[in-house]
Amino acid sequence: MENIGALALLLAFCFAVYAIIASVAGKLKSKPFLVTSAERAVYSVFFLTTLASGLLLYALIAGDYRLSYVAQNSNKAMPLAYKFAAWWGGQSGSLLLWAWLLSLYSTIITFQNRHKFRDMMPYTVAILMVVQCFFLLLVAFVISPFEVLVQGRGIVDVGDGQGLNPLLQYWTMVIHPPILYLGYVGFAVPFAFAMASLITRRRDDDWIQTTRRWSLVTWFFQGAGIILGAGWAYAVLGWGGYWGWDPVENASLLPWLTSTAFLHSVLMQEKKGMMKIWNMVLVASTFWLCIFGTTLTRTGLVSSVHAFAQSSIGGYFFTFLAIGIAATIYVILDRLDYLKTESQLESVLSRESSFMFNNLILVASCFSVLWGTLFPVISEAITGEKISVDAPFFNKVNIPIGLFLLFLTGIGPLIAWRRSSLDSLKRAFLWPTVASVLLVGVLMGTGIRHVYALMSFGLCLFVTMTIGSEFLKGAFAIRSRTGQNVVAAMVELTHRNTRRYGGYIVHMAIVIMFIGFTGKAFDKDTTVNVAEGQAFQLGGYDMKVREVKNGENDNYAWSHAKVDIMRDGKVLKTLEPERRNYKASRQPTSEVSIWRRLNEDVYLNFAGVEGDRAVIQAYIFPLVSWIWIGFWVLFMGTIVCLIPPKRRDVNATPTSRKSTVVRQPVEEAQLTQ
Amino acid sequence: MNRRSISTIALFLVVTGLSIPQTATTYLTPEIRRVGDKLACKCGSCNNTVATCQMLECHYTSPARTKIATQLKEGKSDQAIIDGFVKEVGLAALAAPPAEGFNLLGYVMPFAAILLGLAAILVYWKRFKQPAAAVQVEGAAPSPPPTAADEKYRKQIEAELAEMD
Repeated sequence: MENIGALALLLAFCFAVYAIIASVAGKLKSKPFLVTSAERAVYSVFFLTTLASGLLLYALIAGDYRLSYVAQNSNKAMPLAYKFAAWWGGQSGSLLLWAWLLSLYSTIITFQNRHKFRDMMPYTVAILMVVQCFFLLLVAFVISPFEVLVQGRGIVDVGDGQGLNPLLQYWTMVIHPPILYLGYVGFAVPFAFAMASLITRRRDDDWIQTTRRWSLVTWFFQGAGIILGAGWAYAVLGWGGYWGWDPVENASLLPWLTSTAFLHSVLMQEKKGMMKIWNMVLVASTFWLCIFGTTLTRTGLVSSVHAFAQSSIGGYFFTFLAIGIAATIYVILDRLDYLKTESQLESVLSRESSFMFNNLILVASCFSVLWGTLFPVISEAITGEKISVDAPFFNKVNIPIGLFLLFLTGIGPLIAWRRSSLDSLKRAFLWPTVASVLLVGVLMGTGIRHVYALMSFGLCLFVTMTIGSEFLKGAFAIRSRTGQNVVAAMVELTHRNTRRYGGYIVHMAIVIMFIGFTGKAFDKDTTVNVAEGQAFQLGGYDMKVREVKNGENDNYAWSHAKVDIMRDGKVLKTLEPERRNYKASRQPTSEVSIWRRLNEDVYLNFAGVEGDRAVIQAYIFPLVSWIWIGFWVLFMGTIVCLIPPKRRDVNATPTSRKSTVVRQPVEEAQLTQ
Repeated sequence: MNRRSISTIALFLVVTGLSIPQTATTYLTPEIRRVGDKLACKCGSCNNTVATCQMLECHYTSPARTKIATQLKEGKSDQAIIDGFVKEVGLAALAAPPAEGFNLLGYVMPFAAILLGLAAILVYWKRFKQPAAAVQVEGAAPSPPPTAADEKYRKQIEAELAEMD
């Protein structure tokens, strides 16, 4: 079986190389059969990587402990879902997942465009296959997941494995890595189209039209992967931290920030034919930051809590990054003439300007995270002295930037394209500003003095009101014509311009998440050493340890506590935190128990046993649930953005800037633009 | 009171004392948190501070907290304690590098990048700004001041432009 798996990967690598050569040669020599042949090679790569992945999964589930990867990442006692998750639980398996997902994406793209973009597609295929070759090179020749355990001249079956890292044996960890990878890998597609567009010297925006939805879905997956990772950290690591500014966490945030900037600035290109160079830079940066993120995760360039995924393949990644970035810069610089701006700015007070500021802040935020992540390495290289750049640094730099971004989220959508007058801005922002100032005053009256928290709550209300007013303004316009009720009118409004109003829902999701982040300023915690029947207090609750039990199963030994959460003598909830010691890996983990509510989470961690007493870490995390709610709103907003709008301008050409809104009556323009 | 009674009372007191619910032991006092927030946990992989590291028996944080508590009791100032850690471990003991020397760059660069970006936007804006629609021709009579009708149309155009979006 291992031979078939290794052979499949080797053949996949050969087909990927062939696809590059055949597609480029077919295009340059005008031999369509070569291009078609290259596209079929893409399908073959998908088939072969699927075969290799299937074989690895079979080995993990069936327990083929002759394979080194299986012995290191799986064991007999593990539940089936975690045996499946072991596919990406180790180094070579996760690289195989990368390769498999890319082959899947490449197949979809090649099939979808088999009759379209015949000039661009050979290069798109070639670029995707270059990336594919890199990952196949690693799994076929450098760290194969099909390596067998050898002793002397014979293959050894160790009988049982070490099991998946216990920290990864959690439900979000079954879906967090593949979803994050759907994002990481997915950005290869818009990048490949963008580069192909440049190589073929196209002046149009077809690559943007083609990849718009793709970029949005990929962006969502990247965000979802980050949130799931945060959810995992919150529920598994035992201290309630959902974001620790760990280098690997930062690495996943970087491409999300640049892709968010791209999703905004791409509108400038679609509607006004502006910022073409910038969009190329953003899409390329996003893709290379994805590779950089994978590099950080896989190579341990900077010390990280994600140490379970490190190895010595850094040289390959850095070489790929250096060559790839150099080639990208060359292509962009060489084709600058094809990226000329087609129109002009009319006013500083315009949507165009707000997009520029939004992009500036998003990219600055990305830069500050990247800078902070790499600064220890840079500083040590220059000064020779090691330094630490931990959460306090990132918070100091990124919180003001984040708040400014939140502010722009409220302002941007209310500024008109081309130009706005001061009068119209005053009208739009007067009440949101008044309400925000009032809220801050009220909060200060209740004793809150945390400056950033006050600013954040104020801005959250400001943005909510500006978004709400946009919905209401449009809904009332529809109601006045159709007589529908306001809710139905809002649905109608959203359906007419799903991209715009879906975007507002996404903005609302960000606001909701900010409310959750702000709760961090009011966290409370205590660590106590208590016996059965004893109680302690935190945040207005009495917490009584009702029972402490010990036991074991095939996979782990456990200590389990039942803690009654009480107020005024009344039991409100019983939480049951657990401490586990996994037998195969001899690693302890905490199964925290959380009472989740909108206003605050009560979070208990069974941290250990001292004699007959339990050590309990208790936390109150205000508003943290809003982060997870924000995620679902984000999901909903993205889905709305992806739904085709109900009405379209029949005169519209593919590039929407050619169909000017001036031809439409004002009301129609407001609803459909 | 005979010896047996004394023993009984003593035993009763001990049992009673042990039976009183124990007051919760807080491992992290606000004072330790205050100092610990400025010190990095150097356990090797976590990115927390000595105040926020939640690993119970962390080989770095646990002794560091004890040390902070002891030195606070001795009357040392926060800064003196932090300096002691820096002397022992180096600048890496700090959760964030001091804003001096080369490390100042760490703090300045993100905001410098924003300023640079603002400058770039300004340049872009100047380059791609639409020229003024009406240019005063030399020698021509100056334009008459806007009338009430002009003002009305200007407002109407602005309102329609705003609504278009």
